[in-house]
Amino acid sequence: MKPNISRRALLMSLLAAIFFLLLGFFMLWQRYQILLETREDEMQGIIKIAEQNIDQSLKYSYSAALFLALQIDEEGEIENFDKVAPQLVDNNPNIDAVQIVPGGVITKVYPLEENKEALYYNILKDSTRNREAFKAIERKQMFFAGPLELKQGGLAIVGRLPVFKKDEFWGFVAVLIDFENLIDQSGLEDLAGDQYLFQFSRKNPLTEKEEFFLKKDNKLDKSYSEELVLPDGGWKIYIIPLAPQQAFYTLIPVAIMILIISGAIGWIIYNTLKQPAKLQQLVKEQAGELAQSELHFRTIFNQAAIGMARVNSRSGMILEANKKFQDLLGYSEEELKQKDYKVISHPDDLSDNTQLMQKLSQDEIREYSLEKRLQRSDGKLIWVRINVSPLWEVGEDVSSHIALVEDISARVLVKQKLIDNENRFRSLVENSNEIILIVDDLNNVKYYSPSLSKISKYEEIDFAANGVLYYTHPDDHDLLRSKVEKAYENPGTPITDIILRVKDAEDNWFWVNATLTNMLNVDNVNGFVVNLRDITGKKEAEMNLVKSYELVMEQNKRLLNFAYIVSHNLRSHSSNMSSILELYETEESQEEKDSYIQLLNKVSTNLDQSLHDLNEVVSINTNLDIKAESINVAEFVEQALDVLNLQIKSKDAKIIKELPEDMQINFNAAYMESVLLNFLTNALRYSHPQRTPVIEIRGYKEEANWILEIRDNGIGIDLDKHGEKVFGLYKTFSERKDSRGVGLFITKNQINAMGGTVKIESKPGVGTSFKVRFK
Amino acid sequence: MKKRIYVIDDDEIYQRIIKKLIARAAVFQEASYYMNARQALHDLNFTSSEIPSVILLDINMPVMDGWQFLEELEKSFPDLYTHTKIFIVSSSIAYSDKEKIHDFPMLSGFLSKPLSVEKIREIGEFIK
Repeated sequence: MKPNISRRALLMSLLAAIFFLLLGFFMLWQRYQILLETREDEMQGIIKIAEQNIDQSLKYSYSAALFLALQIDEEGEIENFDKVAPQLVDNNPNIDAVQIVPGGVITKVYPLEENKEALYYNILKDSTRNREAFKAIERKQMFFAGPLELKQGGLAIVGRLPVFKKDEFWGFVAVLIDFENLIDQSGLEDLAGDQYLFQFSRKNPLTEKEEFFLKKDNKLDKSYSEELVLPDGGWKIYIIPLAPQQAFYTLIPVAIMILIISGAIGWIIYNTLKQPAKLQQLVKEQAGELAQSELHFRTIFNQAAIGMARVNSRSGMILEANKKFQDLLGYSEEELKQKDYKVISHPDDLSDNTQLMQKLSQDEIREYSLEKRLQRSDGKLIWVRINVSPLWEVGEDVSSHIALVEDISARVLVKQKLIDNENRFRSLVENSNEIILIVDDLNNVKYYSPSLSKISKYEEIDFAANGVLYYTHPDDHDLLRSKVEKAYENPGTPITDIILRVKDAEDNWFWVNATLTNMLNVDNVNGFVVNLRDITGKKEAEMNLVKSYELVMEQNKRLLNFAYIVSHNLRSHSSNMSSILELYETEESQEEKDSYIQLLNKVSTNLDQSLHDLNEVVSINTNLDIKAESINVAEFVEQALDVLNLQIKSKDAKIIKELPEDMQINFNAAYMESVLLNFLTNALRYSHPQRTPVIEIRGYKEEANWILEIRDNGIGIDLDKHGEKVFGLYKTFSERKDSRGVGLFITKNQINAMGGTVKIESKPGVGTSFKVRFK
Repeated sequence: MKKRIYVIDDDEIYQRIIKKLIARAAVFQEASYYMNARQALHDLNFTSSEIPSVILLDINMPVMDGWQFLEELEKSFPDLYTHTKIFIVSSSIAYSDKEKIHDFPMLSGFLSKPLSVEKIREIGEFIK
């Protein structure tokens, strides 16, 4: 294609150039012809004038010769030659000399002086010049001969007029025209000027050769000359342009211009014609490049290690698919070409894909990538990452797009595993009942597990601002400090079982078992990992256990004590009995014996009393289903006072009551009676001998609990000495015989059994106050 | 040197029994009986009578128990034990009281009720 176009352009331009060249040269030729013609015309004009002039001269010569001839008489004599000749010659510039030549011999000549030598010269006998003479005679008219070298010297034309006398040749009358003179007279010199040369020739009558008479060296180029034939002498006059090529030369610049112009036209045409060729060449080159890149693309497309498919963006149909793509999906290209990409996509991924595709179609985006699942021919799902680029430019119609498809199943699998693991660990961490924190060495909390808010109710925790110690119980600060120090010293080693109290968001302390691991140097952790297990429940259970252990121990101890006391009491009776019996047996006096029996009787009574007391005590301690009911304290106090009315009166005791009517408590009625009677009896019994007994009975609330206070101004008891022993069994503090050390013991047990507590305040000599706090 | 014995016990019946026993044993020339430790302490401090060779002491008593009595007595008589053998006499002994005995290492011993004439003689002969 390329050479053709180029050749055609070249040919066309050459033809055009030649055409214009020919046209130019044709015009030039015309012009040249015109120039030549003009010159010819000019030359002919010159020659014509010269001819006329020469003709004039010759006519003059003929007239002169004829006039002379007429002067010749019959005898052949000329009388007035000397008179006529000068007239003819001197007045006529055309004639240089005249001769009378009778019979061929020059007899007379004028001017004589210059032509003496010719006298008596017989021309007819001179073979070099008689031929013309004879011609004249033959023709019987004047004939000009020469130019001849004259005998007397000089070159001249000789015109000879034959004279006949009685039809008999007589001789000639000759006229001599100096050759130079003749040329002069012709005016040629003036006419020719600088432009032309001229030449004068005559055919030599002897040699028949043309002889030239003007001494011009110039080669006579007859091709440009004009000639004039003068029949009178057989002469030829040539006029030759001095510069015969001048016309040609003058046209050379024009020719050159034509050459240039046509060349230029050719060039222009060539270039003009070549433009499409060039474009075509360019197109071809680009087409070549395109083909090349198409080839590259094709190679890349087919050989790519990545799946590639070209897809119709409107229909979703797969237009082409490379080997890798086919391998990925297990379909042949033909099979794939009948498929819509949506058919092989996992339905769950379609909506995302469709949205992106829509954006792409609307030129909102110029590419997109997506991770999705594709279904292989064998039904297996593979995870792929697709990168989609449109094959249309912005604003163009939606055509097709290229999808690069990379199998990332392995990666997704690993990632999924990672995510699963992460989720597993995360769920372990997040669902754990442990609070897990990561705290860096600047006390910034880098991570906290959700259990933080669940357990401690803190939405977030700021160690950096408040300091860790703020959250820990002051008693545990030293422990924490030492453990943190230990963690610093032992990176990577978990410091476990740090049991301490921490504060929750509501300022409640709770127990945690903390583990502290220094992972400051472990990448992605860079901090202390703190595990806090809420052991409040455990701790409470532990403490409850300790409490109940203590309680049990206490009870055990009490029971032991009780058992001891009981056994002691019983043993003291039995030992008394055995002692009495022993004494009885060894006693001889009947009187004494009787006293022992009485004594024995007393022991028996005492034993009975002891057993009764014990029974009461045991019943309180063992009877677990004692019914509690709501009772009004004031009413019960009234009843008790009624019972003790006699004793109060006999002691003249003053009773002060301050009991709110709404003082309702949950208590067993019988116990309540017993408790009140006991306290009041005590107050009356241990009254101060020198004072009117005053018993104050007050009820009031302390916090949520009802308090019953019974205060007396009796003898009091030294609590420094006896302390809580006052409530002990068989503990008596007075020398009164009726103190058995049972009442307060029972009272306390009854109150305790109802969930209450009792406290005593007392000063010897001042009085005693019992304070019962009801549940 | 007369052998004197103090019996301090709030049990009325025991008092009567021990009197008989001491009388029958006939190793002590003098015997004093107290239902009340305070009274005994008072007598020891303020009467001119000599400090006894033996004291039989009950622990569980009102107002002043045996231990309180011992404490007071040690204060009043620093060389008490060089002259006097003191026995704790009880029908049984509580755990707490057993511990307490260690506070008074100079005590001569613990006697379990019921006592007998033989036992009292033994004590009386023991002191010489």
